[in-house]
Amino acid sequence: MGGPSWLAWMFASVMIATAVYCVARLLVSWRQRRPTHQHVDAIHVLMGVAMAGLLVPRLRVFWAGGWEVVFGIAAAWFAWLAIREYRGQATVGGRPGHHLQHVLACGAMLYMLLAAASVAKAAAGGSATGGMAGGAAHFRTLALVLAVALFGSVVWNADRLSSLAPVAALAARAAPVLAGAGPGGGASFAAAGGDDSRSTPGDGGQGPAGWPPKVPLSPRLAVCCEIAMGVTMGYMLILML
Amino acid sequence: MASQAADVGTRTGWLRGVGAVHEEGWTTPDARRRLQLVLAGIWLLDAVLQFQAFMFSHGFSQMLGGTAAGNPAVIADPINWSAKIIAGHPTATNVIFAFVQLAIGLGIAWRPTLKLALGASIGWSLGVWWFGEGLGGVLNGAGGPVNGAPGAVVIYALLAVLLWPGGPDRAAPFVAGRFTGANVARVLWLVLWGSLAYLALLPATRAPKALGRMVSAMGSGQPSWLSSLDNHLGAFLTSHGPAMAVVLAVTLALVAVSPYLPRPAARAGVVLAVVTAAFIWLAEGLGGILTGGGTDPNSGLLLALVALAYWPLARAAWPAASQPGLVATARPQSPEGA
Repeated sequence: MGGPSWLAWMFASVMIATAVYCVARLLVSWRQRRPTHQHVDAIHVLMGVAMAGLLVPRLRVFWAGGWEVVFGIAAAWFAWLAIREYRGQATVGGRPGHHLQHVLACGAMLYMLLAAASVAKAAAGGSATGGMAGGAAHFRTLALVLAVALFGSVVWNADRLSSLAPVAALAARAAPVLAGAGPGGGASFAAAGGDDSRSTPGDGGQGPAGWPPKVPLSPRLAVCCEIAMGVTMGYMLILML
Repeated sequence: MASQAADVGTRTGWLRGVGAVHEEGWTTPDARRRLQLVLAGIWLLDAVLQFQAFMFSHGFSQMLGGTAAGNPAVIADPINWSAKIIAGHPTATNVIFAFVQLAIGLGIAWRPTLKLALGASIGWSLGVWWFGEGLGGVLNGAGGPVNGAPGAVVIYALLAVLLWPGGPDRAAPFVAGRFTGANVARVLWLVLWGSLAYLALLPATRAPKALGRMVSAMGSGQPSWLSSLDNHLGAFLTSHGPAMAVVLAVTLALVAVSPYLPRPAARAGVVLAVVTAAFIWLAEGLGGILTGGGTDPNSGLLLALVALAYWPLARAAWPAASQPGLVATARPQSPEGA
């Protein structure tokens, strides 16, 4: 990957921190049964680790070709969710717009991994120009298109950010529901005014059998993770130009 | 009233269709907000372009210093001074540049910091216009419509003003006139496109082979499709340069006066502006952003964005406050009081 090594380390650190945070979200969600989008957090963990490895080769933790399979499957999974949602069928995570962002992100990951692999092959054959840029040269326009699309999703997410309630507010709104709801009386969190757009019955937004809902994990920080991922991915794609 | 609400619903239907309208309190961006978000995206692109390896090299400071050539001393000396500082501290200065642009982009996209970021973008753009672009070649006679004059970065400042939230003129027939008022916005449009028309007639563009050389040079280091396009266009302009410069100037002049024409002609003028901007952007080689050495997408993309801000709105799409007899029923579509 081109660019100063310290900058690559900086972005890699951000990605590792994001991945660790998403692991924590998954653990907290599992332990406390608080709603979150587990599959989104899981893909953020994978993307964070994979991008850190692309940015700093010493941080690679997977076998050659493995990541391509992972993100190929993930892209197909999110595309399937998006199509189902578009057709009005129930899905696991809510919003096809959101799913499409992950299709885009997984596609960008696939592109970067394949470009990196082609550079490695070229280097092995003695024809490398040095860095990822040489390997990606045949598809520079695609890299730019992907980067621009990712920046579009970043600004879209940032625009939504201020409309998402902080966890404290979500907890405060949930309190009356928690106090007033017994078995069978637990309204859905969204109906109580909470802004858990990421919470659906399918992913645990409401307790089992009418139990009151739990306060969801911070939707703002989840969006911040997406913003950080989008900016870093855009940076990596631009370096391939 | 009901029809207006229905109209808003219809216009946002595609967003609901992709599931973008979900958050409580989140309002679907109106036309101005969407343009602000596009501007934010371009700032993000600029920020990331600033992180490219070339920007950390001495080549970047030399590129900036080169813009001083031909300018009056009062303009050139500060450019040389800043280029020396950047040459002495390429890493630190470039990191600052990149993060400032990143902050501006994210700041425009995040609604609570919109005004702060737009204000910062104006100051930053004017600074870069001087110290980074040598006022776009306007004073040294090197500037032309297809090489970025009157300076791509000054168009960022113009867009920040035109897209500033709020504004007294809710009756403006186009988005760009809401803050400044329609008349001021028309004058700004006239100055921008009129100056481009004037620059197209200067020797830097109109001289034989000048336009062709300018465009052919943009093909260097580009992907094959863009390189081929610029080389073919450059070859054509080399043999028809002066005539094409006049055609370009007339086209730009027509665009410049179009907001003063009746709505159908004004719309045609905006379409012509977008097409001209696309031509300019391709002739600019997309600002060199595919070469690994571009700092921004140059003026073509921004000119198209400016043009979209002047798209004459249908009367039904005007804010209710501007239409007597209509009572607003829909919530404001953006929190900045668009």
